[in-house]
Amino acid sequence: MRKILIVGAGQAGLQLALGVQSKGYEVTLMSNRTPAEIRNGRVMSTQCMFHTALQHERDLGINSWEDQAPRIEGLGVSVTAPDGSRPIDWVGHLDAYAQSVDQRVKMAGWMETFAARGGRLVIHGVAVSDLDYLSRTYDLVLVAAGKGELVSMFGRDDSRSPYDSPQRALAVSYVHGLAPRPEHPDLHAVRLNLVPGAGELITIPALTTSGPCDILFWEGLPGGPMDVFDGVKEPAEILRTTLDLIRRYLPWEYDRARDVELTDAGSTLTGRFAPVVRNPVGELPSGGLVLGVADVVVANDPITGQGSNSAAKCAASYLDSITEHGDKLFDREWMQSTFDRYWDDAQHVTKWTNALLGPPPEHVLGLIGAAGQIPAVANRFANGFDDPADFEQYFFEPARTAAYLAKAASAQS
Amino acid sequence: MPRHASPVSDGVAAAALPTRGAGRRSARVRPYALTGGRTQFGHVLLVETFVAAIDGPEDRLEILSGDWAERVMPEMRAIVELCRRMRSVAEISALLRMPLGVVRVLLSDLADQGRIRVYGTGHAPGAPDHALLERVLSGLRRL
Repeated sequence: MRKILIVGAGQAGLQLALGVQSKGYEVTLMSNRTPAEIRNGRVMSTQCMFHTALQHERDLGINSWEDQAPRIEGLGVSVTAPDGSRPIDWVGHLDAYAQSVDQRVKMAGWMETFAARGGRLVIHGVAVSDLDYLSRTYDLVLVAAGKGELVSMFGRDDSRSPYDSPQRALAVSYVHGLAPRPEHPDLHAVRLNLVPGAGELITIPALTTSGPCDILFWEGLPGGPMDVFDGVKEPAEILRTTLDLIRRYLPWEYDRARDVELTDAGSTLTGRFAPVVRNPVGELPSGGLVLGVADVVVANDPITGQGSNSAAKCAASYLDSITEHGDKLFDREWMQSTFDRYWDDAQHVTKWTNALLGPPPEHVLGLIGAAGQIPAVANRFANGFDDPADFEQYFFEPARTAAYLAKAASAQS
Repeated sequence: MPRHASPVSDGVAAAALPTRGAGRRSARVRPYALTGGRTQFGHVLLVETFVAAIDGPEDRLEILSGDWAERVMPEMRAIVELCRRMRSVAEISALLRMPLGVVRVLLSDLADQGRIRVYGTGHAPGAPDHALLERVLSGLRRL
């Protein structure tokens, strides 16, 4: 039986661990925290997962919270004007629902499932020295811990990393008591609120440790009015600041947010990071090789909500590459081609996400505006969050956008 | 104590570290059923967790020269030898000069195989035992 060591118990590490385990591999998973510590700890992300990513979980039979998590049927975009009005305000309908399960719930549960199914779970914050030693005794070592010392083994790929500093300051609050948008009282939807030149507020219906909730997520341009969370440690203070900014810039969202409460003591998260693509193969001091997984090798800004989707897609792609390789050696060439196969799809996510971080060009503003008049455009944009490769067809090139909008307008009339 | 003293205090030869690639295949161990002291969610091996070998006199011979000894890494044999008396995870790491993460993985492996038993920390959660901390500290000093 082939032995695989996976470091990191997030979406990608655990999904991959459960995946290779189900194919009969002997798997050791190393996590720096126990399931209980994760469950009682701080929120880790916003994780709105769309259909393709959710299907990967269903394929492995690990969609344990599907019946409890709100079904997100729409994705809306609103743009605020300096006078507080909403010149752009629409919602696109997803072909299949999305869901967001708090990773504290999911990762803790998946770790227990992994152990109950016979996986070896070792609680340890892994250092390079550990891996140097352990790589001798495993057929394959995968690094899926996107933060910490191990990431330094993977060099930055400058040609694929246009930014060298964080493009947004991030502040997340999980809350109970967010009212629905009055215009769609029965629709669960992700809402992307754009404050031009300042930042974005994203709201996501989710499931947390205490049941259904909503996530309020500010993305602030560095140095701008939403970049005020550094040094704010108290969860209540983070929520208060979040709500102050909503009241000031997005009055329609404040109307439904005024009575919210934090879900628990660990329900907030702040920080920032620079988007980066790294080389996928890490070399240990003694010459052993390790393969980076998901955000270890491709870390995009969360503005497009793709982190957990990319993690699920990466885990599914790597699983195929591992099983198809049979008994052959997991060498450098295999590692590179395994990453290249994932990058085939992941490159579209990176290109689109990086594009949204900059000021929107004229043709993109036109596209977002037209989606308010043409529901088919809104729907296509919304479903692009499930399959970002589709943006290649109409989003980046002004001529293609114009051609698509002309076609969509005539189809409607 | 000099850092490279070869016999450690209990007379267990410090395992020579094998070179990369050598015996790569033979390093594999047979898959075992999930018994041998596992808790529901695996062994949580804190630095102060106590472990000890589960073996009788006849097993001792096997450890040194039998089938099992030929199949596993010398590090695994060294751990089992060391654990003939109760040891903390920190002590094992210190005495064998092995990274803590490696010790944790190998101990998990040995526990799954029923070669060692995991005894816990000897104190209730949140109430550290003074004598225990002394032992862990003395283990760490030998690093």
